[in-house]
Amino acid sequence: MTTVLIILALLVGAYLVAVLEGWVSTGRFRPAAPVLSGVALLGRESLVPRKPDRIFFEVGPVLLLVSAVLAAAVLPLSPGLIITDLATGALFVNAALAYVMVALLMAGWGPDGAYAMVGGFRFLGQLVGYSMPIVMTIVGVAMRAESLVTTQIVESQATLPNAVYQPVGFVVFFVAAMSVCFLPPFDLPTAPGELAGGVTAEYTGWRLAVMRLARAVLVVTLAASVTVFYLGGWNGPVLPPWAWTAAKTLAVAAVMLVAGRHVPRLREEHLLAWYWKIAIPLALLNILYVGIVLIAGSSSSMSM
Amino acid sequence: MSALQQYALLLGLAVGTIGLAVSLYGISRTFGKPRQEEGKDVPATAGRPSRDPVWARYHIRYYGYALLFLAFDMEMAYMYPWAVVYRELGLVALLDMGVFLAILFLGLLYGWSQGALGRQ
Repeated sequence: MTTVLIILALLVGAYLVAVLEGWVSTGRFRPAAPVLSGVALLGRESLVPRKPDRIFFEVGPVLLLVSAVLAAAVLPLSPGLIITDLATGALFVNAALAYVMVALLMAGWGPDGAYAMVGGFRFLGQLVGYSMPIVMTIVGVAMRAESLVTTQIVESQATLPNAVYQPVGFVVFFVAAMSVCFLPPFDLPTAPGELAGGVTAEYTGWRLAVMRLARAVLVVTLAASVTVFYLGGWNGPVLPPWAWTAAKTLAVAAVMLVAGRHVPRLREEHLLAWYWKIAIPLALLNILYVGIVLIAGSSSSMSM
Repeated sequence: MSALQQYALLLGLAVGTIGLAVSLYGISRTFGKPRQEEGKDVPATAGRPSRDPVWARYHIRYYGYALLFLAFDMEMAYMYPWAVVYRELGLVALLDMGVFLAILFLGLLYGWSQGALGRQ
């Protein structure tokens, strides 16, 4: 029952993200557009390039969807509303999101097209940049919660959300989360206007529909993980818990979609250099900072 | 729920997602199948077939980062169990991991000074 509810919530979220992305990028608010274009894509031909690596080509979009859904499965909507309250939840989110890179690399390699290939390899480089900041900032969250269980991570933020408790970690995680779901300015693998769609260039028809759905679900998943790890999840006054998680997730997704529109696309070289020279040292210092604050807090409570 | 049941549920979720994709294929197939026409299946390369083979060897110019990434990725495998018991162990844990992290951080700085953080 909870599984069905969460899947429904994911689909509604993906729909809202698609509407919002259309609104942000075209300037027109068209609530029916995602449904119409989805039906239209199903009605179109889905071509296979002439010499594909057939397995990679078919698996790419589906694997992207699977990894986004699996990561969402361990994120709670409210105290009881979670598909599996895995003991290694926070680690599982990382594990599932690692397959985003695999999926995009497959989609890049599979069709034997130059643009797609460049997009795929660019995303591999992007992973080398964003992966460590994501992992390290989650460590800071787990240290405070003394647990990797996502529901306990939310409960640990009852008094103060992690965005205030460890603001540096929050900023780094937020930017890295935008890179995972390749939103502008981190849309290196698709790069519209430069790579002719990149990894999505050779996909048409129902395969493109799966890929676009996967992308929208991925944005929802990452927004939900920012909510759970840093914004206190379901904690909040008056409204029921699930409404708080949903509202925060949508707000994060909206900020992610809008923020990138005002920044030029980063070059791969700069992306990697900035992640390794700025974000990773900051994330390490964040771990140290959380460690010192935790020890100072526990020793002062002991002396009292 | 036991851990095994939880992972079984996740496996079921993955299978269900694949099922969704397959059923989307089924729906689109009821509308008809792609017409075979000449020149339609050429990958997008500015209007003509690409001159060079695409599946060739590439110079991955970010390999310096990739090597550092391997070292840090291994380190993070140790960080997670440490993070969970951190509050119990207190200062000892901070010092233990502090030494470990300091060595890695020095490694990063050394790599930086040797030009590993850049396109090769």
